[in-house]
Order: sequence, then structure tokens, then C-alpha cells
Amino acid sequence: MKKFFVVVLVLALGLIFAGCAQKAATKSEQPMETAQKAAAVEAEKKVEPAAPAKEEPKKVETMAVKEVEAKSAPLAFENIHFDFDKYNIRDDAKPALKSTADWLVKNKSSKMLIEGHCDERGTSEYNLALGERRAKSTRDYLVSSGVTKDRLDMVSYGKEKPLCNEHNEDCWQKNRRAQFTIKGAAK
Amino acid sequence: MRKQNAKIKSLKLKVLIFSFCFSLFTFNSTLSTCDAKIYIDITSPSGKRLPIAVQELSGGEGKNISDIISADLDFTGLFHCLDRASFIETSVHPFNPGNWSMIGAEAVVKGSVNGDQNLSVAISLYDVFESREIFRREYKGEKGSVRLLAHTISNDIYRQITGEAGIFTTRVAFVAEDEGKKGLYIMDWDGSGIKRFGIKGDFVLTPHWSKDGSKLLYSSERGGQWGIYLLEFTKMTEKNIFSSKGLNMTGNFFPDGDEIMLSSSRDETYGLYSLKISDLRLSRITSSRWIDISPAVSPDGKLVAFVSDRGGTPQIYIMSRNGYDVRRLTFEGSYNTSPSWSPAGDKIVFVGMYSGKRQIFIFNTDGSGLAQLTESGNNEDPSFSPDSRHIIFSSDRDGVNGIYIMRTSGESQKRITPSWLRTFSPRWSPN
Repeated sequence: MKKFFVVVLVLALGLIFAGCAQKAATKSEQPMETAQKAAAVEAEKKVEPAAPAKEEPKKVETMAVKEVEAKSAPLAFENIHFDFDKYNIRDDAKPALKSTADWLVKNKSSKMLIEGHCDERGTSEYNLALGERRAKSTRDYLVSSGVTKDRLDMVSYGKEKPLCNEHNEDCWQKNRRAQFTIKGAAK
Repeated sequence: MRKQNAKIKSLKLKVLIFSFCFSLFTFNSTLSTCDAKIYIDITSPSGKRLPIAVQELSGGEGKNISDIISADLDFTGLFHCLDRASFIETSVHPFNPGNWSMIGAEAVVKGSVNGDQNLSVAISLYDVFESREIFRREYKGEKGSVRLLAHTISNDIYRQITGEAGIFTTRVAFVAEDEGKKGLYIMDWDGSGIKRFGIKGDFVLTPHWSKDGSKLLYSSERGGQWGIYLLEFTKMTEKNIFSSKGLNMTGNFFPDGDEIMLSSSRDETYGLYSLKISDLRLSRITSSRWIDISPAVSPDGKLVAFVSDRGGTPQIYIMSRNGYDVRRLTFEGSYNTSPSWSPAGDKIVFVGMYSGKRQIFIFNTDGSGLAQLTESGNNEDPSFSPDSRHIIFSSDRDGVNGIYIMRTSGESQKRITPSWLRTFSPRWSPN
């Protein structure tokens, strides 16, 4: 009985390994299914230069030209600066902001764009958010100085538009700023 | 009695033999799913590279194609491409396993190229130990698309040997600076074929791919306003899908390809929103007095990782897609941003600032297993390859900002963009 048992065992094991090897051989001889991409590289799979994005058809409008009062205005408004990772208005920024506010109050027809900027340290998106905060505190300060809110637009450029590229505190301080441009007549 | 006992004994034995044979049979059946031989198990950490011989294909573009295939396979770290100078067999001679086992090759790629402008490439992959051809295919393409053709062959070889999809026909969308303006660009995953998209605006942020690889989503500043745009490759059209006052920055797609996450400060508070592209329906997900930005949807669409300074400094948080169960993930350092998920859904890669420098870090999605992957220069905007095996990122370590690739272990860091172009914010295509 024992002998019979052993023989069965040996036979069975032999069958298993033979079967497995056979199955493996058969399976791999069959051609593999197509890979993800079609083997035939067709002309549609463009690798040629990308054509420019289609532009939306534009309407050509007539632009109204408004007469501007001949008042003396500073050609540029002084930038104000911020501490690292902060967006509060510093005391040393207040005189410049006051003079900007005074001009805006006198020139009621003008709209202004306040840009918020950061230095190169930090990552792009967070710096854009920080820059936006700087633009906002600046805007709020001008509003508290008597300028109406709807004349002040804000935009952040984060660290995307530096004034200088050196890697030192001097340059970084220059870049941590709010900048002002006249946008055109307020409606 | 004795006869009965003998009968019972014999019956017991028969049952024993039967059940033993039966279990062997089922064992055999399960074994039969061992199917095709796995030459490389990419999940095993053994680190042994498969010695493969990629012979120069006969015919005009033969060397070019075999060089590309070798570079592709070598890049994965799973293959050791044997030096062609050591080959005994020539391209025109048929496969003889003896010629290859002698130099230690376990797999061999041979083939031929016919045609001048319209190429016809025949490829054969051989198993040296089993002395036979295990794969054969013919490829057709124009000479101008020879790189794509070669990459397609690499994908097939890779799949034959590892059972997994290769990344050799993927592309990378990225941002590059030209004359002070930042535009949207695309290139092959290996840095070749750089092209620019002709879109407007002077600034663009990280592009995000749709799951089918047919669309790109990005934020762009135009005329003092940040808007979110969708570019469709098939039509080469750009659509403005979100615009408002304030800062608008897009996150990535949900798996359905119609909904996206974005951050906006449209009402002067920061919020994370989801937007359905088909009907432009906006839903607010978070509401806070703090900065909540950079939403990153998990591959299964159930979770969103994001950056918030609600704890005082920018850190990475995670929440369910409808804004519940907000949990903080980063606790080391005071500046952690830019989270991005692995397509496998098990890891998050991000940027941490230490000693004033930005470095790439990786951890599990519960915040455990934190590891630092970079050390030199400033490194930003990390994201994964579609097979979750590599990370792509930007770095200023060589002076000029460039795009780099590395394994998820941090090994084999190398630059893929040329030194004459300042490049940022890369994102690997899904296919």
C-alpha cells in the first residue's frame, strides 16, 4: 500500500510540473495582445509643430477717447515694500501710500491697478496667494484713506515678475512689493 | 469483524489518496495561471537588472531606432543593455542562442528596417534560455515619426518582459520662459521635440492633463486677470472656462474628466471650488479666512489634498472631495506646499522649505513614511510619471531652471530640458 501511495505521489507531482511548464510554453507562444498604442504609427499622431491655438473671432469696436484734465500727476507711483512672508502695511510704506491716495482722490476719473509681488523664495502658487494678500492690504489702506473701492483693481504676480534676480536680501526686499499703474478712466 | 475492519482501513486509505490527488489537481489548476513567464517583476526590490542585447537593426534608420530602444530600456533601471561591441552575432544572421548566452544576454532584440520615407520595421524579441522567439511584430511609420515608432517598440518590449505598460510614448507639458514671458510648451518624455503652444498671455501656471490625454488645463494671467483655460489637442482650441476678479488657480481633473478643482479669491476670501466644465457649474468646497489653495484630486476622485495656512504657516492638508474630514498631513517644517498624487494613489509628493531652500519630499497618503528626495539647489513642482515609478520636477541646481526626472526613491536624478531654455512646472501625460 505504501509503495502504491509513493508511486501515486511521484506521478502526481510529475504531472503538475510537466503541465505547468507546458502551459507556460503554450501561452507565451501565442502572440501577445496589442499594446496600448496602435503599432501602425499614423499621420494623425501628430509630432509636427503644434499649430497656434485658434483665436476667437474678434469684433472691432470703436474706442471712445476721453479728454483728460491737464493736472500734474506723478508719472509713476512709488512701490511699497513688505516683510518676508508678511502682508501687513509697514509704517515706512505709509507716506508713499498717502501720496498715492491723495492723487487718486484729486483725480476721481482714474482707475488704478494694484499689483502684489513676492521674492523668489517659496513656491509659485503660495507666492501668488501671498502677493494677492499684499495687493489687498494695500487696496484696503487706500480705501481707508478715502479712495472708493471700485476704482481699485488688484492682481497678484507672485514671484513671476521680479524686478531683479540676485539671491540676496537687497534684491528680495525690492521684489516684495506692491506696484501701482493707472488703468484708465473709471466709468 | 476483521473483514469489516480491513474494509474500513482500505476505504480510509482510498479516501486519503483521493483527497490527496484532488488537492494536487486543484494545486495544478492554480499553478496553471502562471501563464507567460515573468522576466522582470517590477514590484520586487531585488535591483537585479535583466541583461538584454539590443542589436542594431539592419537598414537605414536601424541604428537610430535601436539607440532609442536601448536608451528607453536603460532609463527604467530594470535592464542592463549590453555593449554592442561585445556582440558575436551580426544583424543579418539569424538568432543563435549560443552567441548570446556566451556574453551573458538573457533577452535579445533583433530586427530590420525597410523603406526610406515610409518605414517598415520588423522586430523580434528572443528568450536566450528558452532559445526561442517570444515576440514578433511589424511596425509602419513615416521617417519623420521615427522616434515615436521606436518608443512604441520599446513599450511593446517592456510589456513583454514586465507585463506592465511602458511610458515611452508619453509627453510632458510644461512652462518655459522666452523673452520675459512664460508660455505653455510640450515635449516627449525624454526631452526631445520641444514645441510651444501659441496661446496669449504673458504668464501661465502648471498645466494639468485630462485622464485621456486630450486636454490641458492651466491658469493664465491676461490683462491683469487670472483665468482658467482648457486646451483641446484634437481641435487645437483654447477655451476660457473660469474668470473672475481675484486670484484663480486651477487644480487637476476629477477622474470623470468633466469636473475640476480650483482655488479662487473671487469674493476676497480664498476658497476651493469644484467646477463642472460641461455646464460651468461652480460649487464651493471650503470657506475660510485663510489661504486655501493648490487642490490636488486623488486618482480615485474621493480625496483632495491642498495647501492651507489655517495653522499659521502653509501646510498640506487632506479632505474628502465634498470638504469634510479635513486633516493635516505635514508636521515637519514651517513651509510645505505643492502636493501631487501618484497615479497608484498610495503616495503624495510635495515641496518643503528647509534652510531657505525648497526640496522635494514624498510620503504615504496618511502622512507616514516621510522621505526627502532632493538636496541640491531649489526644487519645485513635483509630479509622478503615469506608471508611478518616476517623479518629474523643476530645479535651479545647474543655474538655469530646468526640468529633471528621478526614480521615486530619489535615485538617478537627471535633467531632460536643454540649458538654453528656462523651464518650470512639468506635468507628465497619462498616456
